[in-house]
Amino acid sequence: MTSPAVSILPLGRCAWMLVLGDKVSRPLHHRVTELASRISAARLPGLVEIVPAYATVTVFFEGNAGEMRARLDAICHHEQSEVISPEGCGHPERSEGTESRLHTIPVRYDGPDLQSVANQTGLPVAEVIRQHSEPEYLVYLLGFVPGFAYLGDLHPSLVLPRRSSPRTRVPAGSVAIAGAQTAVYPLTTPGGWHLLGSTPLKLFDPERDPAAMLRAGDRVRFEPVR
Amino acid sequence: MIEIEKAPPFATVQDQGWRTGRAIGLPQSGAMDPLMLGLANSLVGNPAGAAGIEWALGAGTLSTREQCELVVLGAGGVLVDRVPADPGHPVLGVPAGTRLEIWPRPGHRFLYVAVRGGIDVPQVMGSRSTYLPGGFGGFEGRRLKSGDRLPIGPALHSGLGGNVHPRITPDPSDGDVTLRVAPGPQWERFDDRARETLLESRFTVSAASDRMGYRLDGPSITPGSSATLPSEAACMGAIQIPDGGQPIVIMPDGPTVGGYPKLAVIFGADLRLLAQCLPGRGVRLSYSD
Repeated sequence: MTSPAVSILPLGRCAWMLVLGDKVSRPLHHRVTELASRISAARLPGLVEIVPAYATVTVFFEGNAGEMRARLDAICHHEQSEVISPEGCGHPERSEGTESRLHTIPVRYDGPDLQSVANQTGLPVAEVIRQHSEPEYLVYLLGFVPGFAYLGDLHPSLVLPRRSSPRTRVPAGSVAIAGAQTAVYPLTTPGGWHLLGSTPLKLFDPERDPAAMLRAGDRVRFEPVR
Repeated sequence: MIEIEKAPPFATVQDQGWRTGRAIGLPQSGAMDPLMLGLANSLVGNPAGAAGIEWALGAGTLSTREQCELVVLGAGGVLVDRVPADPGHPVLGVPAGTRLEIWPRPGHRFLYVAVRGGIDVPQVMGSRSTYLPGGFGGFEGRRLKSGDRLPIGPALHSGLGGNVHPRITPDPSDGDVTLRVAPGPQWERFDDRARETLLESRFTVSAASDRMGYRLDGPSITPGSSATLPSEAACMGAIQIPDGGQPIVIMPDGPTVGGYPKLAVIFGADLRLLAQCLPGRGVRLSYSD
């Protein structure tokens, strides 16, 4: 099984975006993290940073764009000619510091939107909690604010649109859902997601190293606590 | 120590920002006009990465609590103990207790105050920039207000001295600003008409513009088949086209990822010219790959 072609698109003059697909799926994201770790392992001269997302790996660089493109081309070509292990049947080689880690996040399910989520989904509150805390989530990407990790996939019966009126202040540590995603607010910011509960863990602490607890490709479980 | 005796409407401590951090959602942040801050630093003998005060949108007053050498670049004028400073000699060696009244240059958004030794707020992840959306960095993670006292760091070198041509602070003239753009990842997914609209039209800087993003008013650009994507990396200068068709340019505090198609990206070196534009200023984009 060979993987589909990767297209390399410019993000201005300071980054190349490697596009592996246009959907949100775990198998595709596994290819994203595998490609990101292979680029990282290649220690490309001029590399500034690699940003994995749902279906893309973006490589920020300094220096000659053409040379960087040629090097990325070679790495992607290597991916195309290589046999990719089907999901769960192998552990693609990852460079140091990019292995997937499993985190358990304790959650007190007492959020201000818990009851309204129960009403909107037609589920009892206990079932909302059970369905939210059951899966092992994948960290697809970080963004919005530092340390904000987009986790998926949410149980289909919990999928709701964002709140019609966003809150101007969502406290740090709030555990929330929107669409097919869930997340923990790492900082106190405005936000439009439904708040199910909260965790005492700090998902982002600028004084800590590393500052962000999660990185793309990690896995997360939520553990209900009282 | 420098005291903010009367804060301008918007001022923060900034340096050149975070070089890396996008993978955890940390934007580059830092000065909106990094060239002007870097130049100000050079004039007082600081490394270009030293922190200074980014000052916007109005007048204010500083007072020195110790003898210091400082420079105000990009201002409309400076009164030093009520005496107008010579704009050709922006580097000022002043004793403790000096009051500086500073006001912006008409038509420009940001001016910078650098002091020999730099503003010595604690480094956070390697930068002294203020990241307002996250409430960290800089001086207590917030805008400066009257009464704040900013520590000054140890000086490393002597400055370049005081003889500076007033035109040394490069800035756009009063007319429209022309910015070079390179293709964004969705350049090919927009149709010819959308690309023409971007490159042939005159836009104006919207009042809805801040350190996170500048909106451009003008003809609407049809996103076409490029409507919302699964979130992917963005970058400073990226021109996003949301469903409404009104372009939004990502500025230093803007998001590191997003789902809006990015038609083009403004050259890094030109972004400061946009940053300096006040609402209503005309902007044209010229293609250069």
